[in-house]
Amino acid sequence: MAPAPMFARAMGLPARLALYGVICVALMVLDHRYDAMTTVRVGSASLIHPLQSALARPFEFLGEAGEFFATHGQLLREKRRLEIDRERLAALLQGYAALQSENAYLQGVLKLTPPAGSEPLAARITRVLPNPFVRKLVVDRGSADGVEAGRPVVDLTGLVGQVTEVYPNSSVITLLTSKEEAAPVQNQRNGLRLIVSGIGSDNLLEVRYLDMHADLKAGDLLTTSGIDGVYPAGIQVARVVSVEAPRQTPFARAVCQPIGHIGQHRYVLILKSKGGKP
Amino acid sequence: MNTEKPLVPQGPQLIAPASRRLVYGSLLLAYLATLLPWPQDTLWLVPDFTLVLLFYWTIHAPHIAGLGLAMTLGLLVDLTLGSLIGQHGLTYTVSVYLVILVRRRLENFEVSGRALHLAPVFLGAQALHLILGLAFSLPDADWRYLAAGLVGALLWIPIAHLLDRLTGWTNEMRIEPAAK
Repeated sequence: MAPAPMFARAMGLPARLALYGVICVALMVLDHRYDAMTTVRVGSASLIHPLQSALARPFEFLGEAGEFFATHGQLLREKRRLEIDRERLAALLQGYAALQSENAYLQGVLKLTPPAGSEPLAARITRVLPNPFVRKLVVDRGSADGVEAGRPVVDLTGLVGQVTEVYPNSSVITLLTSKEEAAPVQNQRNGLRLIVSGIGSDNLLEVRYLDMHADLKAGDLLTTSGIDGVYPAGIQVARVVSVEAPRQTPFARAVCQPIGHIGQHRYVLILKSKGGKP
Repeated sequence: MNTEKPLVPQGPQLIAPASRRLVYGSLLLAYLATLLPWPQDTLWLVPDFTLVLLFYWTIHAPHIAGLGLAMTLGLLVDLTLGSLIGQHGLTYTVSVYLVILVRRRLENFEVSGRALHLAPVFLGAQALHLILGLAFSLPDADWRYLAAGLVGALLWIPIAHLLDRLTGWTNEMRIEPAAK
């Protein structure tokens, strides 16, 4: 075993301090004045940065946990925001009430038993033709859904009108109140057959050319007779409001009120023929 | 004061030599602690973990931790924190030199007494770091950062207790008993 050296061969501590100090100062000057360390920095950053982001990940979770210790001001701000939210939600809730009533209506529609030989197809009204002289609606069902021209259109309570034009994905419905529309009806009280037609008003129909001795009184309910082959029998159409005695003509005239809520819905039912295209 | 490397291991180095794995492992942990995403507005309170560990090992494992390791770690921290390369290096080297100077004296004190001795060194390290920043007119020189030096001295106490337990070091292990 070699004897321990008599004198320490390593540099003395002050000398090493001076050496390292000079190295560090030189590095600082190089870095500051000459940007000589850019490549070193870039290289080390590419090593250190992934490590740094891996270490930061658990603290992102902790930061979320730190929200537990919210300050008073934060809570106040939060409260104000929630109050605004509540008002907004209340407004939304009103829309919800409207939706609920619509839903109830649609559920009633589903329970409606359609006349034999036809099945109902719910259709949403997309447009009302802006012509005051024709009363027509555009709905979102067309020939692709099996709609054919001439099919009757009803709502929950009674007859609404008839499909008059069919396009692939939409169709036009002429309302019963339209001036050129007419429907064969029967007085439910005594089976008297009549023809009721529109007069261009939203809530009035009339029976023209009524025999002046016909047994028709205010309050009578008129339903479709099913004779013409267009409308199935038994759909409620109108209730008689008044019967006017003839004046210059030999015929009396009855004014009726449609049973269907014409001009009040967003949905109608098209009674399409059974077994038609889907 | 004898600052030469002794021919025979003395003191803690002889009685409870710290394993290299513990020294480098704890230094690595301290370095990772500086990498953590500390909140930007409390940065002036975050102590220099690497320096805390470096001081401990300078006292307890002088055969491993010395000026060379101090400068190397300082340069690594410089690259990590984006400070001027050599800024931490010089600070670490100078402050570890000061700790080596007072090392034998520190053996007579309990952990808290050592912390009291180390507090001015911690403060001085922060001051030197700031002064270097000012000398090179860096924009982030802020005197509040002196507080981190005090926090570092406070942090040194629990860390020293923990590492004393890990290395099995107790004050009774000194060769020379403390002068009463």
